[in-house]
Amino acid sequence: MSTPLTLTHGRGADGTPLLTAVGEIDMSNTRELADALDRTSGPLVLDLTGVEYLDSAGLSVLFPHAERLELIASPILMPVLTISGLADLATVRD
Amino acid sequence: MHPLTGAGVFAADERIGGDLARVDWAATPLGEPADWPQSLRTAVSILLSSKFSMWMAWGPELTFFCNDAYRRDTLGQKYPWALGRPAREVWTEIWDDIGPRIDAVLTTGQATWDEALLLFLERSGYTEESYHTFSYSPLRDDAGDVVGMLCVVIEETQRVIGERRMATLRDLGSDPSVVRTQQEMLDFTSEQLDRNPHDLPFTLTYLFEEDGAARLASSTGVPAGHPAAAELLPAGSARPWPTAAAAREESVLMPLDAVLTAELPTRVWRGPPTQALVVPLPQKGGAPYGFMVAGLNRYRSLDQDYRAFVALVAGHVATGVASARNYQAQQRRAEELAELDRAKTTFFSNVSHEFRTPLTLIMGPVRELREHLADGDPRVREELEVIHRNGLRLGKLVNSLLDFSRIEAGRMQARYEPVDLAAVTGELASVFRSAVDRAGLDFQVECAPLPQPVHIDRGMWEKVVLNLLSNALKFTFDGSIRVTTREVDGEAVVTVEDTGIGVAAEEMPRLFERFHRIENARSRSNEGSGIGLALVKELVGLHGGAITADSTEGRGTRFTIRLPFGSAHLPAEAVLAEAVADALPIGADPFVQEALRWLPGEQPGTPAEVRDGTAPTADDLAAAPRLGARVLVADDNADMREYLARLLRGAGYEVRTVRDGRAALEAVRTDSPDLVVSDVMMPGLDGLALVGALRTDSRTASVPVLLLSARAGQEASIEGLRAGADDYLVKPFAAAELLARVRANIELARLRGHHARWRTALVDSLQEGFFVCDEDGAVVEINTAFTDILGYGPEGLPYPAVHPWWPDAASDPEAHRQVAEAFTRLLGRSRGGYTIPVVHRDGHRLWISAAFNQVQDPDTGRTVIVGTFRDVTSEHYAIQRESALAALGTCLSQATSLNEALVGALAELRRLWRARTVGAALFGTGDTPVLTATDPSLTWAELPAGDRARLEDLLHRPELTPVSDANGAGILLEHPEGPLGLWIDLGERRPFGGEDQLLLALLAGRLSQGLARAHQIDQQRETAIALQRAILGPARLPEGFAVRYEPATRPLEVGGDWYDTVPLPDGRIGIVVGDCVGRGLEAASVMGQLRSACRALLLQDASPARTLMALDQFAAGVPGASCTTVFCGVLNAETGELTYSSAGHPPGILVQADGATRLLEDGRSLPLAVRPGRERPESTCTIPARSTLLLYTDGLVERRRRPLSTGIHRAGEALQAGRNTAVDQLATEVMAHLAPADGYDDDVALLLYRHPAPLEMSFPADSAQLAPVRKALRGWLDQCDLPPGTVQNILVAAGEACANAIEHGHRDTPGRSVHFRAEAFVDDLHLRIADTGRWKTPRPELDTHRGRGMRLMRALMQQVTVTPGPSGTTVDMHARIV
Repeated sequence: MSTPLTLTHGRGADGTPLLTAVGEIDMSNTRELADALDRTSGPLVLDLTGVEYLDSAGLSVLFPHAERLELIASPILMPVLTISGLADLATVRD
Repeated sequence: MHPLTGAGVFAADERIGGDLARVDWAATPLGEPADWPQSLRTAVSILLSSKFSMWMAWGPELTFFCNDAYRRDTLGQKYPWALGRPAREVWTEIWDDIGPRIDAVLTTGQATWDEALLLFLERSGYTEESYHTFSYSPLRDDAGDVVGMLCVVIEETQRVIGERRMATLRDLGSDPSVVRTQQEMLDFTSEQLDRNPHDLPFTLTYLFEEDGAARLASSTGVPAGHPAAAELLPAGSARPWPTAAAAREESVLMPLDAVLTAELPTRVWRGPPTQALVVPLPQKGGAPYGFMVAGLNRYRSLDQDYRAFVALVAGHVATGVASARNYQAQQRRAEELAELDRAKTTFFSNVSHEFRTPLTLIMGPVRELREHLADGDPRVREELEVIHRNGLRLGKLVNSLLDFSRIEAGRMQARYEPVDLAAVTGELASVFRSAVDRAGLDFQVECAPLPQPVHIDRGMWEKVVLNLLSNALKFTFDGSIRVTTREVDGEAVVTVEDTGIGVAAEEMPRLFERFHRIENARSRSNEGSGIGLALVKELVGLHGGAITADSTEGRGTRFTIRLPFGSAHLPAEAVLAEAVADALPIGADPFVQEALRWLPGEQPGTPAEVRDGTAPTADDLAAAPRLGARVLVADDNADMREYLARLLRGAGYEVRTVRDGRAALEAVRTDSPDLVVSDVMMPGLDGLALVGALRTDSRTASVPVLLLSARAGQEASIEGLRAGADDYLVKPFAAAELLARVRANIELARLRGHHARWRTALVDSLQEGFFVCDEDGAVVEINTAFTDILGYGPEGLPYPAVHPWWPDAASDPEAHRQVAEAFTRLLGRSRGGYTIPVVHRDGHRLWISAAFNQVQDPDTGRTVIVGTFRDVTSEHYAIQRESALAALGTCLSQATSLNEALVGALAELRRLWRARTVGAALFGTGDTPVLTATDPSLTWAELPAGDRARLEDLLHRPELTPVSDANGAGILLEHPEGPLGLWIDLGERRPFGGEDQLLLALLAGRLSQGLARAHQIDQQRETAIALQRAILGPARLPEGFAVRYEPATRPLEVGGDWYDTVPLPDGRIGIVVGDCVGRGLEAASVMGQLRSACRALLLQDASPARTLMALDQFAAGVPGASCTTVFCGVLNAETGELTYSSAGHPPGILVQADGATRLLEDGRSLPLAVRPGRERPESTCTIPARSTLLLYTDGLVERRRRPLSTGIHRAGEALQAGRNTAVDQLATEVMAHLAPADGYDDDVALLLYRHPAPLEMSFPADSAQLAPVRKALRGWLDQCDLPPGTVQNILVAAGEACANAIEHGHRDTPGRSVHFRAEAFVDDLHLRIADTGRWKTPRPELDTHRGRGMRLMRALMQQVTVTPGPSGTTVDMHARIV
């Protein structure tokens, strides 16, 4: 049984593809996230506002797509994104 | 059958055992042996197997048992009647003495020790005086109570009585005066005998008179006028005492009838004597002097020792009589001799001239023979020389005596003619020149002519000059002799001067006395009659002159003669007008001849010692002496020496000759002869000094000496005998008399010497060992008891230190040290005593107790050490036994377990025997025996095969019967879990004697009992501890709690305090801390009931107030439960909500994360059961995160003279200080911080809770577990009341660590679990994640996301430590709580 995670594909107000994640991301469910990311191409807005937990396994899925990602995250995730250096590669906004 | 069960208990001794088995035990309080307790069987078994005299009493009537040694030594005719009887009946006659001692042992359990206690036993058909040294030790039953006693006894009757008799004999010999009158001697003797009324209730000394009647001379213990003390017994009387038997030198034992015993004082005894022994007073070589009647001790049989004692006493009295009578005779003789001396001169003067004719008739033919036989047989010539020389000497003596008698009678027919005195004197002097030259002296004759002639009688003058010259030569060894004549103050002065030995100032006044001789002067010869100078003085006096002497001792002597010129001073009729002729000196020859005999080398072939050379001549004057008897002859006169030698050799003796006392002493010391015949007067060491020297040296003291002297003075005779000479013979003597005396003395030699014999008898009859040491500690004299005790006999004397009986320094250094110390004391102190271990010649160990005194040897003036000792081995071992049993008893009673008892006992045995190791093998139910040894590292498996065999071999031996070999000793005894073989390894060849065996049997018996008792205690304690632990509290506490418990009463593990945690059905936790009144077992039992009740009540209704109210009701029904204080609370561990109620209990202390301290003082009410039924309040508080709660009993904080609040405050401080310490460690710190200096004196219970409790989880290494773990951690972190950011950081870091752990687990050992723990402190949070795999070194280039995880952990936490181990990896992380 993997950690509960809901991934919803959609479009943002400007039509940019949007992936909304709700739940927690750890080693047990990064594959789902990776698959979802792989299914998209081009700039992608990843909304992590509903994610309460993100560890290095999740980060390692995000890094290959960093340059095309615009991350929306709650303050809870900010230390992890900053420390890992992902914030330097991807666009991060609150 | 087991050796110690049933009737087999008597098997250890066939004889006594058989008789014991025949006792009707059912009729005694002890009942049938089969039902006897083990302790009794053990005691009986030890008793019977012992070789030492013992008896024991057991049970309410003190039923009597004894062993074979006791039967033989003490019980006598009471055996076997005594067995199984009450001890009081067996020893009814001495119960007054021993009863109280036995009572003391039974009531106090303390052993008694009595030394030489006098007991009147009736064991031999009469009431007997006996002495016993014994100890009574308590005997205990299986429960450890004293129910009987064991007596180890040594009968000392012989020793005590022996010592008492010795004291009497010693006192008798202590008479300080050598000789005294008969009555004085008897008075002294009576005084001494009267001091031993035990052995001599009365004594009567009768002396025979000439007609055979016996007169009472002295008595003790009988009032004057008593029919027993008849003053005079006519010859042949039978009553009251027989005189005839004593006269025949027979002893008679006389029963005393009623008439005789009437009104006899009983003195120290309860009744008068019933028998007396009549013993003769023996006279050496004659009929007895009389007899002694010795009243006998009615409580002793007249055995050989007693007879010998009485005989020695009588012998002493007889010796005393002999010496007193001898002294009287000597005195009488002395008076007679003085008279004789006066008559002697007269006599000689009368007869001397009669000698001249025969002398002339001898000397004439001798001279002719000498000339005829000048070339003849050398032996004949030699004998002629002897005759000639002694003829001359005799002639000279006769002439001198005649001169005296003439002078005394006024009949000296002098003819004074005028002569040239210088010339005449010079001529006379020249006669001596050759003799002086031969003596190596310078001879100066300075005879200057005188102005006038001097009138002299030539014969007389010749004697004057020759006597003086002879005298000078005799006493001068170096230097010169000078003769001068000159005129001084109108007188002719002639001097004769020498550089000889001189004359002591005190001797000067007597120099010219007739027969006076200077004693001990060093001279060329001791020949001389002491009349020379006296004659000179007389002769000078006849010339009207005077002679004076001046002398310096050691420098020389000068004689000065002054003669007047003219003839006016002389009787006119004797004065001649002219000199008659120039006659040559006529009487010089004897003087010169005599002088030459003194000088060395005059008799070629006469060495200082002549062993043989003269054929024995037949001499039937004396009977043939003992074959090979050897005689040493000491005489400075060569003729006398040769004469004696010839005479004695002729009689068949082997003869050695020496020329002086010194040589004699050396000869005797190298090879002791059977007799020494010595002249009294010899140069250097004279005869008396020789005797003295011989007597003071124990090696030569017994050599008989016959003194010869020309001097017949009474003093000389007494002096000679007093110096210790055996006989004294005055010259001249007949050859027959000499031979008879020589023979008699040799024959008597072994029987001789009243002093030596008396002393030897005395010393040898001592039952104590006796020794004399010289100043260096060499033992030079011993007695027979010495040899009996130590095995070393007189043949080995002297025994120089280190003595052969010292224990070996190498194998027994401790004993050696003790002896060396005692030896130092012996040499260093004037008197003292010591008890030391020594080794008998045959190797066995003894203990002796010695007393010594330094004394001056009256003969030599040297210090010697005289000592006596006795064998105290049995006493020593008896004491050692008692102390060893006591030590073992102490050790066993202090042991708190079976094993401790055994280990302690083995150590005690090892200490006692100074053993290398002591081991015990328990042959229990297991396959291999269990070894316990003083060396704890030893196990059965590692034990050498020989040691194993020795222990196994014990199994085939009867129990409690020691065995020993060269290496040690062993014994089998009963252990609660099976037979126990015990072996003492002594390490080296050391004897393990009978005493040791007895001790080992006793100790093993005691050990067996002790082990049984320890086993019972073990079982009881195990049960008790299990029970105690059961009532104390839960074995397992919920997370977050720590407890401590300290009971006031050891070894109890519980007291009146308690704590409890109770998991409740709704997940909450019940917390109880209580304190019953009192302490110890009673309080603990109340506590146990309250704790159980409280627990049950909480489970039923989780309300603290209602629980306590119900407990009020319960406590009211439990005695001792009232007034118990209790804190009862219910904790929600998740929220920290605590509901509580206190029944008079001290408040809980809460220390928060910020350091604030709060007391839980609400919800308070009365202690339990004080007001049952009364409502109790309840209060609730929330324990903030990271705060610590302390609940306790008053023992933690209550101190005398200090308010409770102080203690509570200190406890709060301790909690504050330990806010960052884990609760378990904190509990220890709080207990230590509050402990009084000498420990807690009251029960203490302590309970700590830190909120929240640490989070602890274990989960399988599966990534699916990550989310639930995270959830649990998040929930716990919420309890910790942390800032939100901190929570997220911890969650991520923990998640990374868990992910790593899961990966490792998956990779290496799938399915293994990961352990997670989180604990909150005040400002620190500790996480620990442990897995079973290997940690992965971060290598970002290969495994970017793992490396990233590690980086995240380090970035998010304050401290990360990864500890890889063989079985897994542990990650510790700390997060600071801001």
